[in-house]
Amino acid sequence: MVFPALLTIFALSSISIPFVYLTGRKSHRAAAIFIALIALVNMGLVASTIPTVLESSSHQWVETYQWIPNLSNTQFTLFVDGMSASIALISLVLIFVASIYSINYMAGKKNLSAYYALLCMLSVGLVGVFLTSNLILFYFCWELMLVPAYFIVGEWGYRNSYKSALKLFIFTHAGAVFVLLGIGAIYWLTGTTEMFTVSGIQGAQTLLLGVNAPDIVRWILLALTAGFAVKMAVFPVHVWLPDAHSEAPAPMSALLSGVIISAGAYAILRIAFGVVFPAVDVTFALGFLHTLSIIAIVTAFFGSFLALFATDIKRVIAYSSISHMGYIMFGISLFPISVAGGTAVVLASSIAITGTILHIVTHAASKGLFFLTVGGVMHQTEERDIHKLGGLASKMPFSTVSGMIAALSIAGAPPLACFISEFFIFMGAFQVLATDSFYIIPTALMLIATVFSLAYSLRFISKVFLGTAPGELVEDIHSGNNTHASAEHVEGHAHKIVDVPNYMKAALAILVILVVAIGVYPTFFMNLIQTVTFGGIIVA
Amino acid sequence: MVEIIDVILPIFTLIVAAILTIPVFRLAHKSRYSNAITTAWFIAIFAVVGICVANLSLSYFSIANPPTLNLNLNGMSASPFQSSLLIDALSLYMAIIIVAVSIVVIVYSVFFINSAERLTGRYFAVMLMLTAALLGAVFAGDLLTLFIFWEIATAAVAFLMLFRKNAFSINAAMKYLIMVIIASAFVLLGLSLVFGITGSLNYIAISNAISTVSSANMPMLIVAFVFIAAGYAIEAAIVPFHFWLPDAYTASPAPSAAFLSALVDQGSYYILIRILLYIILPPGQGPIDWTIMLSIMAALTMIVGNIFALVQIDIKRLIAYICVADVGYNLIAITSVTALGMTGNLYFFLIGGLTTALAFMTIGVLNNHGIKTLDDAAGIGKKMPWVSIALIVAGLSFAGVPPFGGFMAKYFVFTAAIEANYSWLAVIGILTSILQTAYIFRLINIMYGKKAKDDKPIAFKMNKKIFIPIFIMVAAIFILGLFPNIILQLIQPVINQLPFFTLLI
Repeated sequence: MVFPALLTIFALSSISIPFVYLTGRKSHRAAAIFIALIALVNMGLVASTIPTVLESSSHQWVETYQWIPNLSNTQFTLFVDGMSASIALISLVLIFVASIYSINYMAGKKNLSAYYALLCMLSVGLVGVFLTSNLILFYFCWELMLVPAYFIVGEWGYRNSYKSALKLFIFTHAGAVFVLLGIGAIYWLTGTTEMFTVSGIQGAQTLLLGVNAPDIVRWILLALTAGFAVKMAVFPVHVWLPDAHSEAPAPMSALLSGVIISAGAYAILRIAFGVVFPAVDVTFALGFLHTLSIIAIVTAFFGSFLALFATDIKRVIAYSSISHMGYIMFGISLFPISVAGGTAVVLASSIAITGTILHIVTHAASKGLFFLTVGGVMHQTEERDIHKLGGLASKMPFSTVSGMIAALSIAGAPPLACFISEFFIFMGAFQVLATDSFYIIPTALMLIATVFSLAYSLRFISKVFLGTAPGELVEDIHSGNNTHASAEHVEGHAHKIVDVPNYMKAALAILVILVVAIGVYPTFFMNLIQTVTFGGIIVA
Repeated sequence: MVEIIDVILPIFTLIVAAILTIPVFRLAHKSRYSNAITTAWFIAIFAVVGICVANLSLSYFSIANPPTLNLNLNGMSASPFQSSLLIDALSLYMAIIIVAVSIVVIVYSVFFINSAERLTGRYFAVMLMLTAALLGAVFAGDLLTLFIFWEIATAAVAFLMLFRKNAFSINAAMKYLIMVIIASAFVLLGLSLVFGITGSLNYIAISNAISTVSSANMPMLIVAFVFIAAGYAIEAAIVPFHFWLPDAYTASPAPSAAFLSALVDQGSYYILIRILLYIILPPGQGPIDWTIMLSIMAALTMIVGNIFALVQIDIKRLIAYICVADVGYNLIAITSVTALGMTGNLYFFLIGGLTTALAFMTIGVLNNHGIKTLDDAAGIGKKMPWVSIALIVAGLSFAGVPPFGGFMAKYFVFTAAIEANYSWLAVIGILTSILQTAYIFRLINIMYGKKAKDDKPIAFKMNKKIFIPIFIMVAAIFILGLFPNIILQLIQPVINQLPFFTLLI
């Protein structure tokens, strides 16, 4: 009898929701620490499966429980492999950090017990998405992370928060409904809702190979990819992201930009590519991948340009998320297939996919750090216009360091986290170039796009942290003070902008350490990710 | 062994109870313990009915491979107008739903009385009579018995609509009555034609006879069934016969709107299933291909229902249009004629009924606090948090967001459509479903995001116990959505009794 680690994660987090709410009515801090502790325990539980993932021959940890026997024996299948484990771990880290950060950041807001209960509910869905290989359960979790996100963005966000939240919900739900169509079609073709063959139950991955319905399989692939791409916010369906991410409270922005949109990338890899892709024919597969790479380039450039010209500091980061989804999409488009043979067969080795999965992890850490830092800046200065900020380095040294590390990591500067994963993606691109000359131009363009990333990151650093504060900022802060703002006066009161409070510092410190650590020593995640298999073959 | 008395007993109990309810309420109102007496009265009635139905289903399902039982009522086996009752897995499933939901709705009505409109003994008498008529219609074994019980039901519905006695409700009731009279005329015409051709009105006898009908009589038979189906399509509010429904639901008091949406709407839809799948039989089995016609109606119903819901400003009317749209999703399932579709259909019966009932229950509470339109709803998320949560649950279930029941229902229906090569219907279903999400979330946005006109808190002026039935519904929608197997176990025998489903789940 193996300890049911994954079921414990589900049960623990879902049972805790009402308790978090009740704790929150007594003390907000206790509720936040409650969620952080659950996240910590869950991290331990995920970590406990890692030895099995690394050492067993299938590189998986599977738990199955009876769920809906009357629907072709649908199982409550909990599943972990290298990809799930690494992304689930980073999500848990972000949940941990976001809840700690909320103690200071959300202090003074209303209805915080509901906020923490929703955060806990969100964590069930968010972690659950990565821990299941049953399509229906996956969809349950997929929507479960959306509903709390809607309410958190709407209720505790800024400005037109409910409008942004509505955009977030409608767009991603519309995507999800197309996913549902794809899931239904997979079920129709194969009669199963399992993704992979586990515990003796045949999975869709195997069964789809035996189904002779090329047209339908293509449509399934398109519907699933399109549906997940909405969550990823790639170019034509990105419109919900800038609003939702910039109006959300900072911890929620960190979760949204860090992991929730990457869940779209994860789902494309896990379901669209892991399950359906091996069953399509090679001509279509090539065209599909090439299209994805073009979408990726447009997304990367589009995001970078808008980030370069945005004046709202949170919007800068939101746009940079779009551009990074472009990188991830580019990595996905380098999915290795062999051109020979009738059907698409996954190749044995691809550095690009390893890099892509690693980029999901590193981007989550860096973007989480970036949003939390900027949230701190907004919290302390109550200003979000990039032209009115500046010279914060002397006043908020801690935030400056964390902000610089985040920005440089996002820009892809070594030795920080994102550098290593982008490096792998480009290595993979050159590997694919050897067999598919189509990728020459996309790879070149993608390299150019990284320059823009550097540009907006440096602009952000120099405008917000370096230089000197423009006068308006200081005057704004002292607008309550009716005396004329003389030079000495400004000097005398400038110290009113102080660095972020302690819990926020702790949250930032954890992510700073993580971003640097992954950059310097990516081996832990690399080992995990290199065990990932697609279509029965290890990718790296 | 199932005896005929087992089937008649619950119906008979309800009819007697309905007749006795008015004097019982009169007496109770003179007594000091009126609440206790009326509560005990309902507990007694539903205990008897519940035990009867439970006993019936247990004894039926204890038979190995339960057959379809046709029980003749009066031994006049020679008469062509022989009344008979039909017991099979489908009618039992419906009966269980009817009893379970009517218990919750009556509990809701009891608490609604104390605090809101004066719903007297007459109201409950009509509710009980309606429940009896629905049970009778579900158990009917021939078209005439069905017709009689269904007419009782429609009369009761008209009475419920007239309960408020204002111009709007009289208007709505008139509209409804005119529609049902037309519907009844259609059905009667169809019945006489069917009787003329096949010589019987019994479901099983007709079903056997139409496979041997001569080709000369075939067009007449088709006409006959078109009349019957059109008659019940009017009652099921399928587009283009839907326009009475929003008025009717808006005019009725909230408890009866909940009852109508949960049971009467679904009941008329049950009759369509009975006629199309059990009597005429699906294409390939029976002589008539009705799926194309029905698929077009399904598409129209989804589109019209959702688009009209989008432009409503009255919340109750909005939910009424969602009921219309839900019929469309049900129709997809029946059009597909697959085991999965049938499963989805029956699951949708329950979940759709529970969800609309929940929505009307919460709206009843809101209406009693003066909240009628979308504008009134501004800011109620904070002023009336519990009612709002219940309404959100209903909304999410409508929109098909897991883990609420509506998701599973939509999953079954759309998958069934794809399975039966009706992908275009699935796509329309999905697009309208997105539309549904949009207006439901617009409502939620108004409830939470929009500033209220004034900051005055709303004093809750109803009996707090009204939350018991509301949260029973919320819990049911949540639990049945998370563990659909509870219902699928009841549906499985229904599927097993339909031999023509080749695609088994």
